Order: sequence, then C-alpha cells, then structure tokens
Amino acid sequence: MSSKSPSRGALLVTSATSVLIFLLIWETACRSGLVDPIFLPPPSAVLGKAIAMGNEGTLLANILASARRVMIGFLAATAVAIPLGILLGTSVFGRAAFNPILSFLRPLPSMSWIPLSLLWFGITETQKYSIVFMGTFAPALVYVIEATRNIDPLLIRAAQNLGASRWNVMKEVILPGSLPQILSGLKVILGLAWTCVISAELVAAREGLGFLIMNGKEFFQTEVVVLGMVLISVTVLITDLCFRAIENRVLRWQK
Amino acid sequence: MDITRRQFIGGAAATIATMATGMPLGAAAANPTIKYGGSAWLGHYPAYLAMTNGYLKEMQLEQEWQSFGTSSSRMSAVMAGGIDIACTGVVSALALMARGAKQFSIIAIPENFGRVEGLFVKGGVKNIAELKGKKIGVTFASSAHLLVLDLIAKAGLKADDITVLNVPAPELPAAFQAGQIDAAAAWTPQFDLIRKQPGVTLLADDTQFSLYKSFNVTPGPDVLIVRRAFAESNAAAVKSYLTAYFKATALLRDHPAEAAKPLMKLTNLGEADQVGAVKGADWYSREQQAGLLKGQYVEGLQKLAELLVAHKQIDKAPSVKDWIDPSFI
Repeated sequence: MSSKSPSRGALLVTSATSVLIFLLIWETACRSGLVDPIFLPPPSAVLGKAIAMGNEGTLLANILASARRVMIGFLAATAVAIPLGILLGTSVFGRAAFNPILSFLRPLPSMSWIPLSLLWFGITETQKYSIVFMGTFAPALVYVIEATRNIDPLLIRAAQNLGASRWNVMKEVILPGSLPQILSGLKVILGLAWTCVISAELVAAREGLGFLIMNGKEFFQTEVVVLGMVLISVTVLITDLCFRAIENRVLRWQK
Repeated sequence: MDITRRQFIGGAAATIATMATGMPLGAAAANPTIKYGGSAWLGHYPAYLAMTNGYLKEMQLEQEWQSFGTSSSRMSAVMAGGIDIACTGVVSALALMARGAKQFSIIAIPENFGRVEGLFVKGGVKNIAELKGKKIGVTFASSAHLLVLDLIAKAGLKADDITVLNVPAPELPAAFQAGQIDAAAAWTPQFDLIRKQPGVTLLADDTQFSLYKSFNVTPGPDVLIVRRAFAESNAAAVKSYLTAYFKATALLRDHPAEAAKPLMKLTNLGEADQVGAVKGADWYSREQQAGLLKGQYVEGLQKLAELLVAHKQIDKAPSVKDWIDPSFI
C-alpha cells in the first residue's frame, strides 16, 4: 500500500464531482416525476428562484438582514461571555455562584425566549438580537469557562513564582493559553447563532432568511424554502472561512 | 404458550401487513375512519359538532380529529396523505393549486365569517390614508394580511407608505395595547379581544374587501376539502359525511346556543363568547352549496387568486374551477 497522500487538487476534484453527481441525481429524480416538485423542487428551480430574487434585489436584502441580526446578537453575546467566562474560569467562588444560573440557562432553546422577548422589547430589531444573544450566550460562556480552566495550573504557578502579577498572569498565560479553545468554540457558536436567527425571524420579521423560509412554507413555495436553507448553509460556510482566517492571524504564534 | 421463531415472524408479518393496509385487526370495517384536520377556529365547528353530537355515528362513520396550528400545516398533511377531509383557509389551498397540486378537491363552503375579521385603529384615525407613515400589525400570509394589502391599494397608497409588520395572531392584542403598532388586523378570537380595548375603532372588516360586494368573497374564506385519492375510493362515505356535516351547520345556524355548548370544550371560550362566535358567521346550508360551488362564488375565488398574484403572494393564478367538485352534495 502506498503511503503517499493524495494532492489537494485531487481532493478538491473529488469533492466537486460528488456535489455535481448529487445535484444531477436530484435534478433527474425531479424531472423524471419520481419526486413531486411540490415536495422537493429540482435544483434548477431553486437556482431560477435565486436569480429572480437576485434581480429584484430581495435576495441580498434577506441575507444582509439575517447576517446583521446574527452578527449583532453574536458579538453582544461574546462581548459578555468572554470576560465573564475568564473570570469564572479563574474563580472557584465565582463558578459556585454562577453555575446554578448557567445550568438553568444552558438547556433553554432560543425559541423559548420569543414570548418574553416580545414583551420586553416589543416588535423591534432588538427583540431579534436578543433571541440570538440568549441562544448563544450560555454556550459561549461554557466554552470560555472550560477553555480557561484547561490552562495547565503548573504554568500559572510557574509565572507566579517568577514574580508575575495577577494581571500579567492573565495577559501572558491565561489569555494566550485559552484563546485557541475559545476561538474554536466561538466558531461553533457562530453556527448556532444562525439557527437562533431562524427562530428570531419566525416572529414579527419582514425580511431575513428565516422569514424567507417561513413565508415560502406558508405559500408552498418549496424552491424558496430550499433556497433559504441553501443560503444559510453557504453563509455559515463563508463566515466559518472568515473566522478561520481570523484564527490563523490571531494564533500565528501557535504554528 | 410457547411460540416458535417461525410462528412469531409469521404473526408479526401478518400484523404489519394488516396495519399497512389500514384495516383494523380482527375484521374489516364497513367505512374507513375519516381523518379530519381541525383546530379551534370556527370553520371546524360543523365537523366537531357532527362528531360530538353523534351525527357521524348515525351515518356509520367514525372521525379521527387531528389539530393543526395553521392552514398550511394542515394542507401539508393532506398532501402527505395523513388527512382525508379538512376545512382550510382558501389562501393555502390556492397556493397549492398554483403549484399544480391535484391531491385535493373543494367539496363545500362551510360559512362566511366576514364580520369577525378586520382592521382596528385608535387615536381618532378615520381612514386608511391617515395611517401613512404608521405601523400596521398583521399575521403575514393570512386572510387579514390580504385585507390590509387590499385596503392599502384601494386607498391609493404604495406598499412603502405604511409599515406592515408581521405579528403572530396571539401577540396582536398585547402589541396593539402596548402601542407597538398603530393598527391591528385580526380575526376572532383576537378580533374580539382587541375590540374590547378602550378607544379602539374598527376601521374596516371583510365586508370592505374589494371582492365582497360583487362576489360575497372575503379575503380568506374557508373551504371544505377532501383528499382526491380518499374520495375516489370512498365516494359514498364522503356523501354520508356531508349529510352529517350539514346537519351540524343547520344546528349552528338555527340553534346557536345549543350548538355552542359542546363547542366550549374545543375552544375553551365562555358560553357568551362561544354563542357570539357561532353567531358571528353565516352558516351555509346543503341547499346553498350548489349555488356556491357552481356560481359566482367560484368566480370570486378565481378573482381572489388573481388578487393574490397582484399582491405577489403567489406566482400564478390557478384555474379554481378545476378543483371544485360538487358531486358529493
């Protein structure tokens, strides 16, 4: 058996071919009448709808509306979760005080916040940001706490023995040590934020990918539903790539 | 008793085959159990009363009641073959017809509820034009949404002149009361809740809808539909079903107080509100059906489909008469 690993190009061609074959089978199944287009539209119909909506300008408007809600909700959640998580990760008493609250918040799906958020914020954009925030805050906090706790205590003790202040231990040991795990956790949370925005857009939304899917469902426009699903996947993929680029830049020292 | 592996497999296979054909174990039923897609909405009152008052039993029919939150979910279940007969808002049916779905037919029109759906305002607003620059809350993809779009268009306003917000029906009364929206379009029971709020005026109801005067068609009338495959193999059962169904509509029309009592279990409304809800609709008789299904009303539904296209709710207008089947009346 050859130990030579396949080239990057060969792997890319394999991936692209598998996608093409998948789309071809899907299209053929729909066109041959094997699958009723009301139940599953062919990819060509989804593409046609995307082009039509692109020409109208509604496609980009929906993507941007969702992306804005995701980014604001996600950034607000991380802005609170990172410092709080580091604090709780380094404080036994802090964890003892906060863990019961976190255990209560963590299992709550973002949809369960809809009734209360409507009462608190009304039919506003803030209500949608809050859904994303509540859906991502607790998991982000857990990632940050765990990342901070995973720092080797020997490193902290060594720094302290060398005379480092509490701030220096935080800056030179805890932050750099936990950052890789925090960033990989936030990458997962960003994907989660996209599922939250769908919940947020089920109620009182006029645009956005979640709204697109729900409105398409009401009028049995399955190509719109599938288009919304595809766009969410593609957008998550793009944001994931962007996040990876940031990760590579921030964690250059780790390579 | 010891059962060998072969006996067990044989028995299990026979049970699965029996269940797959939908036949009850032991003996074949004369009539199939009809799976009905309902909810607490008034359009389902006849089917519920026919079941609870024993009218279906008199016709040797059984009904399995399944609840759905929206017409589109109910119609999805019809498409998947899970529901045989259902009352649905016609907009969902028209949306499916526009996609060429031939899986169902419209077999009756239960009622007209035009007086329990409308647009409320407060603060002395006298006409829709005065709502320019303000916010109207309405549940998107509903009949009330179409009413709002129609009223805006009739007032000569553009879509951007008024902000139309998508608010779920149960949230409308609170949003309106809290001042988050300047106007609210709703149907019963939210219609009744909003009407009770202080300083509220009913600006328009379904009778101001552009198709109402000429065709008696509201923005989203209810229709009774049957799954075609079911109707083809159980035509006699569907006819018997309608006999029981219209006995219930007669009770609703002629004796609303008597009809209201069993319905309170379905809707959780108090007696006075329940009687009010029953009286809020005009219940059509079996004799009126031929006129509705063959006459101007269907033309009105066709115009409604065209209006939905004009308001960009559906892509194309189906030929509605192709889905009308008066043969069971």
